[in-house]
Amino acid sequence: MTGSSPPGAADSPRGFLTGSRSTAGSPAVFAMLLGLPVLLWQIIFFAGPLVFLVVITFWQVKSFRLSPAFVADNWEKVLTSTAFLRALGHTLTVAGTTTVLATAIALPAAYTIAFRLSPRLRDFAVAFLVVPVFSSYILRIYAWQVVLSPQGVINGIAGLIGVEPLPLLGGAFSLQIGLLTLTLPIAVLILTFGFAGVDRTLIEAAENLGCRRGRVVAHVLLPAIRPAIALAATTSFLLAFGDYVSPLFMTGSKPPTLSIVVVDTVKSGSQWPRASVVGVSMLLILVAVLALGQVLSRRTRLRRGGR
Amino acid sequence: MPKPFLPDLSRRGFLKAGAAAGALAATSRWSPALADEPGVLNYLSWPGNADPYLVEAFEKENNCKIRIKEYVGGDQMLAVINQSPPGSFDVVLADAEYMHLLHEADFIEELDPADYPLKDYWPEFQKFPLHWFDDKLYGVMTDFGYLGLSYNTSVYKPEELSSYAAMWAEKAKGKVGFFDWYLPSMGCVSLSNGNRPPFDIDGDKFEALKEKLFSLKPQASGFYTIADIFSSLTNGQAHLIPGIGEWITLGLRQSGVPVDTIIPEEGGLQWTESLSIVKSTPKKDLARKFIQYTASPQGQVLQATKVDNKKSIPSIAGWKLLNETMPKEAEILRMRLDAPNVMDEYKAKKIQFRQLPSQQSIEEWNDVWSEFKSL
Repeated sequence: MTGSSPPGAADSPRGFLTGSRSTAGSPAVFAMLLGLPVLLWQIIFFAGPLVFLVVITFWQVKSFRLSPAFVADNWEKVLTSTAFLRALGHTLTVAGTTTVLATAIALPAAYTIAFRLSPRLRDFAVAFLVVPVFSSYILRIYAWQVVLSPQGVINGIAGLIGVEPLPLLGGAFSLQIGLLTLTLPIAVLILTFGFAGVDRTLIEAAENLGCRRGRVVAHVLLPAIRPAIALAATTSFLLAFGDYVSPLFMTGSKPPTLSIVVVDTVKSGSQWPRASVVGVSMLLILVAVLALGQVLSRRTRLRRGGR
Repeated sequence: MPKPFLPDLSRRGFLKAGAAAGALAATSRWSPALADEPGVLNYLSWPGNADPYLVEAFEKENNCKIRIKEYVGGDQMLAVINQSPPGSFDVVLADAEYMHLLHEADFIEELDPADYPLKDYWPEFQKFPLHWFDDKLYGVMTDFGYLGLSYNTSVYKPEELSSYAAMWAEKAKGKVGFFDWYLPSMGCVSLSNGNRPPFDIDGDKFEALKEKLFSLKPQASGFYTIADIFSSLTNGQAHLIPGIGEWITLGLRQSGVPVDTIIPEEGGLQWTESLSIVKSTPKKDLARKFIQYTASPQGQVLQATKVDNKKSIPSIAGWKLLNETMPKEAEILRMRLDAPNVMDEYKAKKIQFRQLPSQQSIEEWNDVWSEFKSL
């Protein structure tokens, strides 16, 4: 047992010395040193809590106190509960709808900003898109409540021309308005930068070869920004899927999304372990969506390389 | 010494690592630092109860400072007190339905009834059943209120709401808001099913309650937090909300919103708050003085008239002082001694205590509520 240790111990310093001699000052080591704080940061503030989140899913709650255990009850209880499954289906539908809407609305908007506006107007538009990203989301949602409520701005105007109050607040419509408030500026920004990065000579070449604008868009522009489209779509999905504010304030949790289920689970009976099961499930779904986004944008690159 | 460097991935190691991390998480949530400082009364309570309006006189008189740790809801209160080291709190304010849990877990002290002005209270509240265990006093009632059916007065006349059945009517479709807490909301539906008491029901009645509750789904406008109850009543999203009361509608009405609360003929619920001394506190004297102060006529009037949270008070001496010093408030709060007042509903036996379910677990009721929300 002890006999095997000296050769190993002698091995490693030699390897270390030779290693350091050959790479000292090389860009690779420098980059690694620069990257180290980021790595540590990620381990402490992301990987650590994440592991703890997974560990907690196996714990139990006894008289409102978390107690370490190793049981699968929480997983069984959550994954088989109708409330969770309904919320999962609802959240996927809602986030999917937001993704489609955000991408569909953002594409023409980004195209216009990138190709149709003068440089000054373009900068102006981008600035206008950046500002909401940094303003309070909850404030914007409360503003929508004022606009959409039965006695709100829109129904006030509708009432003047004799229209009965419309039930705008509290439903799929108001939920999508809330989620698009969150996702649309970001989707437009991503796609605008995507369009701006397209090599203009490609467009000129297509036009010289007799392509109309429609064909240029379909056969040159859209394929060229496919990674940006995938990024905009996945970002929209991520934000909409995990959002808590819009489902709570725009629909009054009717029906609840997964993020609301997380809060409800903790609120009633301090069930942190079960809330963690919901949280981990949400993370797994998001990882799957990210992977799908990666595959979609990588396939373009492969095909382009093959041509 | 076999495999000294192999990480211990056994079940025990897993538990140990988890326990350490859990302890770290728990301690960072509530810091007991300074809790044992003399002249500081650590008070676990609903938000707003250490407002200067309520406690300034006490702090001056006793040259102390009240440090509040706020909780929202009895579940959170139990979680906080369970996770805090002994000595973190001296006094706790609790809703009556959680008192037996605090008592069973041995968190609160037995009190001497002679220390407190219980003789000044309405006879109904001198020996309030939820505050006494084995004929021993554990909490002194500070305030109470009723929960019934709150409504928009520009849409409904009171006579339309003589029964909870109004919630199922065509007129209420999509307009019944819910306080997102299973207990008062399901309690009112249980009352509408004729269950008295509403929380002590057998399996069949619980099934019937579930069915009745689920049949309300097409009527629901949403499930609201306290803040959203205010806005949904104000902006017309909800015309009816069961399981809330004047603690919400009185304040709104005074600021011009057309709302009121009615106790339908099937009955209403009563919530009550009480103060208890936390076991093992070294500041028993200060804690007792604080409870005496809150139960005194002056303390009671302050409880009743706090601007953002008006409540009914159990002390007749408090009522008298209120009628002498603020007759207008006494009328608004329906606490006039020479006119119809809040004790009438109680005397008419229309009021049931809000209690935790006794034949089912809290979890079972919660699960039904979660399922109702997700329908």
